[in-house]
Amino acid sequence: MRWRLWLLMAPALALLLATFAAPLGHYLWLSTQAQSVLTALKPQPIGVEQWLRLFNDGRFWQDTWQTLRFSAASVSVEMLLGLAVALLLDQPLRGRALLRTISLLPWALPTTVMALGWRWIFNDPYGPINRLLSGLGLAAIPFLSAPSITWIAAVGADAWKTTPFVALLLLAGLQTIPADLYEAAALEGATPWQTLRRITLPLLTPYLLIALLFRLAQALGVFDLIQVLTGGGPAGSTESLALYAYLNAMRFLDFGYSATVMLGSFAILLLLCGMAALAWRWSLRWQGGLR
Amino acid sequence: MKRWALLLVALVGSLSLGLWGLAAARIEPVTVLMPAPFAVATRDLVSAFNRSHPHIALSVTRGPMETEAVSDLAISSLLLGNSPYDLLLMDVSWTPKYAAAGWLEPLDPWLGPNALADLAPGAELGNAFDGQLWRFPLLADVGLLYWRTDLMEAPPRTPAELIAISHSLQRDGRVAWGYVWQGRQYEGLSCVFLELLHGFGGEWLQDKEPQLDSPAALAAARWMDDLVRTGITPAAVANMGEPETLRVFEAGDAAFMRNWPYAWAELNKPDSPLRGKVAFTTMVSEAGHPHAATQGSWGFSLLAGSKHKAAAMEVLRFLTSADAQKQLNLRWGYTPTRLSVFEDPELLAANPALEDLQEALAAAVLRPLSPVYAQLSDLLYRELNTVITGDRPAPTAMRQLQSNSERLLRSSGGPR
Repeated sequence: MRWRLWLLMAPALALLLATFAAPLGHYLWLSTQAQSVLTALKPQPIGVEQWLRLFNDGRFWQDTWQTLRFSAASVSVEMLLGLAVALLLDQPLRGRALLRTISLLPWALPTTVMALGWRWIFNDPYGPINRLLSGLGLAAIPFLSAPSITWIAAVGADAWKTTPFVALLLLAGLQTIPADLYEAAALEGATPWQTLRRITLPLLTPYLLIALLFRLAQALGVFDLIQVLTGGGPAGSTESLALYAYLNAMRFLDFGYSATVMLGSFAILLLLCGMAALAWRWSLRWQGGLR
Repeated sequence: MKRWALLLVALVGSLSLGLWGLAAARIEPVTVLMPAPFAVATRDLVSAFNRSHPHIALSVTRGPMETEAVSDLAISSLLLGNSPYDLLLMDVSWTPKYAAAGWLEPLDPWLGPNALADLAPGAELGNAFDGQLWRFPLLADVGLLYWRTDLMEAPPRTPAELIAISHSLQRDGRVAWGYVWQGRQYEGLSCVFLELLHGFGGEWLQDKEPQLDSPAALAAARWMDDLVRTGITPAAVANMGEPETLRVFEAGDAAFMRNWPYAWAELNKPDSPLRGKVAFTTMVSEAGHPHAATQGSWGFSLLAGSKHKAAAMEVLRFLTSADAQKQLNLRWGYTPTRLSVFEDPELLAANPALEDLQEALAAAVLRPLSPVYAQLSDLLYRELNTVITGDRPAPTAMRQLQSNSERLLRSSGGPR
């Protein structure tokens, strides 16, 4: 009986192997080779040298920190805003269908287009925000030319684009919550805050987790927004791991090192996911112990 | 028997005639990848070529607008090993990298030893690498210093003069800023710095050794830093590319701008507020050092994987001919590379700025010819950008840059 199970799963497994395991294996092999413009693009085995280089590469660690910072900030903002928007769009308002459509528009825009748009919105001194500020007699904000500000500007642009995505997922989740639960709560005299905390949020948890997972995966691999908005600048302060890997492969033609950077960031992500899963399990156990 | 022989002769004859005809009628397809603006500008030339060369079907693939995006597209196709292109319109800074990767076919056997003889001084740079010719230039591009003729009598020739003129114009409230240039973390910043570096008497590489902590390099970086700190250049320059710079200058908010020749056409459009109020010259320099102009030409390279090399070379000769360059200048204002085109009386009458462009081209300096140039430049513009944002003092940044560049060249065996 067992073999029949495997037989039925074989096509899916083959697909997974071909699209996931094979490239990963190839990258692992590539990270032990020198394959660059200096070897005329022919692979030459060099052992663990690329990994030592990665370990001593300050830029890789700086980009790791910057990618994590960007992801944590943008995903938190998007989850909070997305929840608020979803709760709002779930209310029986007039013109709700129109509102829902409009709120989805940013998500429908290609990232490069919206990043170019934001580049002009953030323009110093001609962007609309800085024009408004100068009209009010205030100093311009160097959105894209000060390292301490630019990464926040990038988070803002990202939140603008992907909040609708989170809102859409959560809105779908909200509509699965039976209305009689809310009626019962209202009869018992629950405040809106209690209803939110005791009914909406617990029942929305699976959807929150899915949204979180999707967004984290996308944010940790952020490339197009950064590439168009800042090119990694100013002073390298917005360069992400994906951008660094891209530079190594496509600009520098250093495929061995690019593969190592990709695997390095993959390993860091795996570590983080593992830690998050452990924390999740412990928190559940802890909650269980309390009850 | 005789009849049989006759029949055989007739058969063989008609067969070979048919085969010969078939071979003659075989149309060779040639595909060229160009950045979008050039693909548009060469449209007339391409149809003229197809009319006069019935045995070749030339088609142009319209690439992206942005320089590096074109390279990404080309590289993706080359990596797959079966590129659909025969010719590539290449930026000067790509040539050594593509040649070292083995993607290009040397042009010397096709064009002979005197291929570059007709090129204007400055345009011949950056086509050969490692003793072979890899590219033939179609259009020249050089960095220029634009200045406002309505604000001053003559352009500054030294860094100190530029600062003095800017200061007095800003003090009198005639412009918001003195000088705008490309300070974003990207290739354009390397081009800007190269001009200053030569203007202060320095060099990027000397005998394959980086010279970026030399007194001249430090002076150039300090000067950039001072421009921003003293408010002659807006702090926003740290994220300015060519379009942003042009916007500030075109709005009348700056007295000087560093940009490429395309800005000349933009500034002289009928609806431009600065029409007739602008002139250009070469970059400022310290006394005794050259007024340098970073060369950024575009040229055709033949791909090693092309199956139609002879036909592709015919296309290359046609599109880079004096006639073609003349048309591109008359219709689209592109700067030619051939001396004979620069000296064409008809063109000079139509486009008086051509003479000044030729002079600027003669002052051309080249970015290092190295297969690892992209890394070298990445180190440079990243580090300089931290100076511009004020995050690192110039001496620290240049020392760091020097040691990083040394390490890069050491680990890569030096530029060949």
